[in-house]
Amino acid sequence: MGDITVGLNCPACGGAITIAEGESVVNCQYCGSTLYAEGDKGVQTIAFKNKLDERTAIGAAQAWWGKGFKARDLKRTGAVTECYPIYIPFWDIRTRVAGWVCGYEERTRSDSKGNTKTERIYKEEMVLMDLAYSEIACDPGDLGLRSLRNFSGESTFEDLDMIPTFESTTSRDDADAHARSDAIARGRSSAHVPHITFENLHALVKRTSMIYYPIWVVRYTYQDRMYLLTVDGVTGQVLSGRAPGDPLFQSLAVTAGTSIGGLAAAGGVLFTINTGSEFGIAGVILGFIILGATYVFFRHGSEIIQGDFADRKKGPDMRQLGNIGKMIGGAYR
Amino acid sequence: MKIIQVKCPNCGQAIYQKTKDEMFLCQNCGTIHYRDDKGPHRVPFEVAPPNPNSGGQRFYMPFWRLRCDFHIRSRDVQGGLLHKLATTLRGGDNGGNLYIFVPAAELDTTTFRRLAVALTTSPPQYPVRQDFGGIERVPTAIGQDEAIEMADFVAVTLEAEKPGTLQYLDYELKVLEAKLIYLPMVSTPSGPWLAI
Repeated sequence: MGDITVGLNCPACGGAITIAEGESVVNCQYCGSTLYAEGDKGVQTIAFKNKLDERTAIGAAQAWWGKGFKARDLKRTGAVTECYPIYIPFWDIRTRVAGWVCGYEERTRSDSKGNTKTERIYKEEMVLMDLAYSEIACDPGDLGLRSLRNFSGESTFEDLDMIPTFESTTSRDDADAHARSDAIARGRSSAHVPHITFENLHALVKRTSMIYYPIWVVRYTYQDRMYLLTVDGVTGQVLSGRAPGDPLFQSLAVTAGTSIGGLAAAGGVLFTINTGSEFGIAGVILGFIILGATYVFFRHGSEIIQGDFADRKKGPDMRQLGNIGKMIGGAYR
Repeated sequence: MKIIQVKCPNCGQAIYQKTKDEMFLCQNCGTIHYRDDKGPHRVPFEVAPPNPNSGGQRFYMPFWRLRCDFHIRSRDVQGGLLHKLATTLRGGDNGGNLYIFVPAAELDTTTFRRLAVALTTSPPQYPVRQDFGGIERVPTAIGQDEAIEMADFVAVTLEAEKPGTLQYLDYELKVLEAKLIYLPMVSTPSGPWLAI
């Protein structure tokens, strides 16, 4: 996971030492002294070295314009108006979750005569794993950044003097609490126990670091509208951004989605009425799932959004869509 | 971030270690201490001598030995009827005082579970000493506070290890005392094994 090294000097002999991010003990390779890294109230602060310049950041933005279902002439007519680096603080928290999740899973089986039998399979699952959690440590505004994805890179504090830096505005206690909640949720999920009757999970915070991460902000215009995207200052990848979508593709996709969904639903209703078979309900469910998926994919209209923006919910949840289908099926039955 | 040279809080001697162990052992006076943002803290510890007949590469592994009061109020276990019957005939099993051993080294989950359960169910007996006799120590990765939290996990693991499938457990666990114990181990193809 973490692969950051910080260059420092041994206080005993002055020799150059390197210490990995998150580690607090290092032995000097020159004099053999054991050294301890004192953090700010137990929080180590690391700053990643910025690896991009303005030209490469703009190049990454322009490459992103050409990907996906963005406006086809964006690469030709989009114009960068501003491009600058900033340092954004992130909490980097390593946790361990340990415990037990007990309960059962129900499996329904049908025999050749159509009789169904529900079997209860009892489960006791141990959870013991180490996890990494990150969250932004300031108000990111409309940058679309919430967590850190890359934990590898070279560390230096030299760039902090030259690049504007956002100050940390969130508390360590809050971040640790969020990391614990995340660890418990991920531990519970890893146990795969659908019906939980007993749960005993402990989340331990093993290490908390503050990482100042270089981000390039690129503002650009397309057909007199202003857009913004951010580029990872270490990896050169676009982290978040908004871009105009391709109206032709979206029109075709919405038309096709609603048509197929409507036909499937109507076909299912007709099949059920004509044959009296419950298999027609599957068509109704499928139709509503297609309609739901069409809505989820294109509810933002003509804008393509990448990143953790407040108005961008998580991707289409097919299980949720399936559940909606089951509810409809149940109501119809 | 500030780098300091580690010195013994008891005698002031500089510490020289080969491994990155946060439990600093003073070669001069034998004190073990760790540091955090509040400063140095001495750690009570004891060492078990190795079995001279044990073969293979020997090393010391740290464990937190926690004296606990573990009281089970109620449980629900599916299956394991023979075990339940035997327990009932013995007069029940509602916990009591026990030593819980929490491995303090960085271990994979399988080894962690195996050692924690094996040592807690059969606590080792040994003559106590304070020196390591030149045998290397495995670095400590779990602090005392973490170990106390993990005691809860080990206690439930003991119940889950019993026959049947645990479905519910209502219990109370109090840690009465914590001590760092160094136990001699040998490396084997199936992982570290106790060499007392």
